[in-house]
Formats: sequence, structure tokens, C-alpha cells
Amino acid sequence: MKNYKRFIVPVAVCAVVIGAIGYYFYKNQKNLSNPDRFIQEKAAYLRLIQNSSEIHKLWEAGEESREWTLIKSDCFKKLGISQKFDESLLRCHPLLLQCHAEFSKNLTYKIINVEEYENSAYRLMTKSNSSYQGLRETGVALTIEDLQSKKRMDLFLTDQCHEVYLEQRAYAYGEPVDAKDGDDYRFDNFNRHIYLDNHLVTNSEINDWIKFGNPDFTRGLKSKSGDDLFLPAVDLNYSQIENYCSFKGKQVMLAHFFDAATFLPMDLAEKIPKKNLRSPYYWTKKASEYKADCNLIYSKDCVNKKGYQLNSTGPSWAGIHDSMGGVFEVFRNPIDPESNLKASSFYFDSKSSWHKLGFRAGWNGDGFDLRDFDFRGLNPFVAIDRFQVGFRCMREVLP
Amino acid sequence: MHARGASVKILMLALLLVCSSCMRNDPENMTAEEADQLLTTEWVYATALDQLKYNGEVITRPPGFEQLVMSLVIPTKGGLSSNRHCVYYQVPYKEKQGVLIVEVVKNAEACGETSGENKNFLKLTGIDKLKVTFQNFKLNLDFSYNKKSYTMSTPLANIESGLIHEKYQGLKEKRLVSGLRLLRLSDESFDFGSNKYLGKLSDRFSRGNAIRCEQVNKDCETIGENRCDQCRYGWYEVVDFQCPQGGSKFCGQNHCGEKNEPACPRGIKVIDPEEAGICQSDLEPKPNLDKILICQ
Repeated sequence: MKNYKRFIVPVAVCAVVIGAIGYYFYKNQKNLSNPDRFIQEKAAYLRLIQNSSEIHKLWEAGEESREWTLIKSDCFKKLGISQKFDESLLRCHPLLLQCHAEFSKNLTYKIINVEEYENSAYRLMTKSNSSYQGLRETGVALTIEDLQSKKRMDLFLTDQCHEVYLEQRAYAYGEPVDAKDGDDYRFDNFNRHIYLDNHLVTNSEINDWIKFGNPDFTRGLKSKSGDDLFLPAVDLNYSQIENYCSFKGKQVMLAHFFDAATFLPMDLAEKIPKKNLRSPYYWTKKASEYKADCNLIYSKDCVNKKGYQLNSTGPSWAGIHDSMGGVFEVFRNPIDPESNLKASSFYFDSKSSWHKLGFRAGWNGDGFDLRDFDFRGLNPFVAIDRFQVGFRCMREVLP
Repeated sequence: MHARGASVKILMLALLLVCSSCMRNDPENMTAEEADQLLTTEWVYATALDQLKYNGEVITRPPGFEQLVMSLVIPTKGGLSSNRHCVYYQVPYKEKQGVLIVEVVKNAEACGETSGENKNFLKLTGIDKLKVTFQNFKLNLDFSYNKKSYTMSTPLANIESGLIHEKYQGLKEKRLVSGLRLLRLSDESFDFGSNKYLGKLSDRFSRGNAIRCEQVNKDCETIGENRCDQCRYGWYEVVDFQCPQGGSKFCGQNHCGEKNEPACPRGIKVIDPEEAGICQSDLEPKPNLDKILICQ
């Protein structure tokens, strides 16, 4: 009897408490079961979709958005950016979202930080770091929470700002060939959908690879900050460059497609001309119209006139920047593998014969000293400790 | 001993009460508002809308019978696989009430002609004059319910009806908002052990371990499905039968033009067929047994 009493009292108390909790939940459930609850929950979802759309607008508008003007100074302060750069690089850039998450005010939602990535507001998702089915390309994933209902939604934003579609037409590779020396090396991309990066890969993009990619492939690479964020990544060896482009589901820019995007077609309306006549300068059809202009070629002469920045010169006819001048750029050249480097750069003055489209030097892909390059005897006149080699990627898309 | 057993029973009963009160409402006994909320929270993630038979038409036939009106492919939480929501409608007739039934079929397999084979996700009884409309990437279900007209409207942000390739522009998608998708992320989404994408970074055609993601035959027919969208590290095209849709395709890093690798495509309009492959200047393109040009 004593034993019985010893058990029954606490059990009865527990049962009453649990029953009360159950009743509370039951009653609450009943209250919430009215149509208003469902209407409100649906409204929360629709609000989240609307907010997703607003975030996407900001993502695409970048520096042209009203929000950017409100958060720009806080954002630059946080990122340690003090020098001017081409702010169009902020379009479709996750750092813009990071700043939006931290500094935008009066939002009806919040962006949830990813704790395992130093409270980043986003994570880069690719087919190599995610198992999510149905991804076509790399994108930025983020989670937003509706402040009113606490409901959450996961978004995936793709970069539609930094690639250009290469028109389907006949092109030619390399410098023009004199008629007496044979024919031009021609090719075409009919029935192929080719997209080229319109600018060199930046340090901030490499930072994201280091952060979200497979560490086996990024070993030895260091993240950059401050004003380096929007400068081209120039210290990867060729193997790392290949792996970065693969991480993005792309390939290293092929030399002949770079030529296709930079040699100005004589007649844009004629898709298959009899001959691919071409000028060595991307902005003019006449070789005689060459001029030393830092807005056309950022050469050695420009270094003391204005600071180097990415996209320092106007776009080519196809829309790609820095076709000449600036840092070196490496390609994969399946025709002449040893001619894999755009040597037109700020290492040569404006009179240098390197400032010609299709005329390439060679890089062994390993180091950055003079001995790692083949300038065909046309070496720079100054001693450079470490040459800067940039790169960009390209991809083909299924119809 | 007896007392302890009784106490456990009391506790179990109390717990049961708590649990049952927390459970979701019965899918067989829903209001239109509840069904609307439940469908929206699932269907916004739909990646495909199939078998929509009567777009924009009020379904009135056959009276008293149930039929499949559409199906939607919905990714599971984590996005590792998909289910199919099969949507059935029984047109009301005399004592038979109009019923909307949504069943879930795992792995996005095909729907049965009528419901009953799979788990009910939702059942809404007492509806009439159902009209299903898919327009501008929004799905509307209009019907009368309790003698009032009701509209369930769901934006389908993940449905894509093709791509837009425009010169000088980035890739655009035909969808509600080009470049925006809604995901259902979980920890599983980032578990590499579950990654089903194809290929390794070290795969090479020359090593014989590159995965073919599209095969084109000599009659320019594509054999099997094109899986190139599944390639983990991108894909590349080879030169084989000079077909209008291009050649066969392989997953992985592109090394075309290099020794023992496939020749790169040179095009179809400005060069002779025998020069259709690009190889390094010291190599020659030669067809292998599959008629793929290899640089040797």
C-alpha cells in the first residue's frame, strides 16, 4: 500500500500536467483551425515569394538599385574598399546580398545567416558541392524569413549578369594570314549556344571557391580582401584555373573563342562572309586607326595616369571587357597550345607590338617569373618580380 | 508492481492526448482554405506540370466519374529526389459529390488513371465546376464550394518553358522570374555522399573514364536520354557524324585538341567535313571505333 501511494501521487501529478498541456495544445489547434489561420499562412508564403522577387531585382540591378545607394557606404566600410572600381561588377554578386542582409533597414523579412560559413548570408551552390537535383548552373542560395509569420523560404539566384552569348556565325582564329601564306583558320559555332564570361574572374569569386568548394582543389590559395576583392585573380596556376572553371561547370576560355569575341566583324549582317577580314584592334575595322588611349588599351603608359581596375577598357563587339591591356590573360589553345597568353598588358608601352589581337605569347602555367613565359624575344623592358596572369571561363549550354 | 503498470498506462494515455492534438488535420476532411494553404506550400516548388488536359475549361464531363486532371513534380525536402502529385477530380452527379483528390507518387513515377493506388495528400469534397488554368506561370484552380466561388492561385516559380539565347546577353530562362528558383534545402542538400551528379574532375576521354552523356548515331538520332545537365563539372562535345544537333557529348573537363583526346568541333558551315575537328598543330584527327575524331 505504501508502495502504491509512493507511485500514484507523482504519476497523478504528472498526468494532470501533461493533460493540461495536451488540452492547451488541443484548444490552441482548434482555435488555429479556423479558415483565417490557413489564409494567413498562405498570405505569408505569397509574401515570401514577393520578397524573393524583390531580392532578385536587387541582385540584377546591383549598383543601379535604390537600395545600393542607401547601403553603399556601410558596405564599402565593412568590406574595406576605398578605391574606385567598376561597380557594375556588383550585379549578380553575393557580396551585395551580404551587405543587403546587414545594412538594409525596414525590411519585412530577414536573411538567415549560414553559421557553418562564418555567418555568411549566402552559400554558393554548384553540382559539385550540393546534392540538390536539377541545378543547371552555379548559383547563390539564401534563406529568407518572413518577420510576421516566421515562415522561411530558400531562394536560388543565378548569375545572368556576367556572361555574353556568342552570336552564331563564321569566325577566324589568330592574326590575319597573308593570301600568299595560305588561308585563315576559320571555324563557326552554328547550332551551338556558347556563353563567355564578360570579365576576368575576380578575387572575390575565388574567395567563394575557397569557402564553398572542395578544399582539395583550393589548397594553398588565400582569400583576398579590401580593394583586392574586385581586382582580377592573378595568382592561380593553370591547373587551379582549370579546376575553378570546372567548379563553375565551365571551361577555361578557348583562344579561338576569345578571338571570335574580340575581332570586330567587318559586316555584322553577314554571318558567313567569304573571308574573315579583321583588324588587330577590337574597336575599329581599320588597323590605321590605332591610338594610344587608356580607355581602349590599358598599357604601361596608363599606369601613372589612372589606377588599374577590372573592366578598365570598353567592351568588344561581343561584349567582353579587357580584350587588350591590363593584366595578362591565359587561354586554353587547342590549336597552338604554346600560344596561350594575351600578352597585351600594362607590362608593355602603347607602342609595343604585343598590342594586337590574336598575337599571343606563351605561359607554362606553373610560375610567374620571366622564365615561365615565352615572349618570343619581345620581352618587357623592366624587371618584373611576378607577372599577373588573369583568366576567364566559358561554357556551352544545351539547346 | 500493479501500481507501476497503472501509472505507466496513465502516462501513456496523457502523452497520446498531447500527440494527437499536435497532429495535422485529417487529409480526408479539409476545408477549401486548408487545402489552398497546403497546396500552395507544396506546389510553389513544382518543377514540372504535366498532363494538364483542360487548361482554362470548366470540367463537366464525365459526370460522376473521377479523372486525372494534371500532375506536378515536387522536389522532396533536401532536393535529392522528387515526388509526383497526381490531381484527380470527380465531377459531381446526383448524390455523388464533386471531389478533388491529390495523391503522392514517389520518385515522380506515372499517375494512375484514377486515385486509390497511392497515399492521399489531400481530399476536398463538395466542389463543383472545377476549372484549372495555367497561364503566365501561375496555376489557378477555380471552383464553387459551399455555393460560393473559390480560387486557389499558386505561382509556379520553378516551372521553365525553355531558354532565351540573345546575342550580347546572358542566358535567360522562360519562367516566372528568370534567374530565380525556390529550393527546399536541408542538411541533406549539402551531403556529398548523396551527390548523384555525374563524373569526377580526373575523368578523361583519353583514360577511358569520361561519362558519355549524349550519344548520337550515324543516322543523327540521339540514343537514350541526354544527361549532360547532370554532369558535375560541365560537358563537352566531340566530332563524330557531323549531325545538325552536333556530336556526342561527354561529362568532365574539356581537353579537346590534346593528344589522345577528342578533336574540338570546328563547325558545320565554313569548313569541309574532313576538317571538322580541331587538334593541336602537331596532331591529326583520326576516327576511333565510335567514329569520334581523336587527336593523334
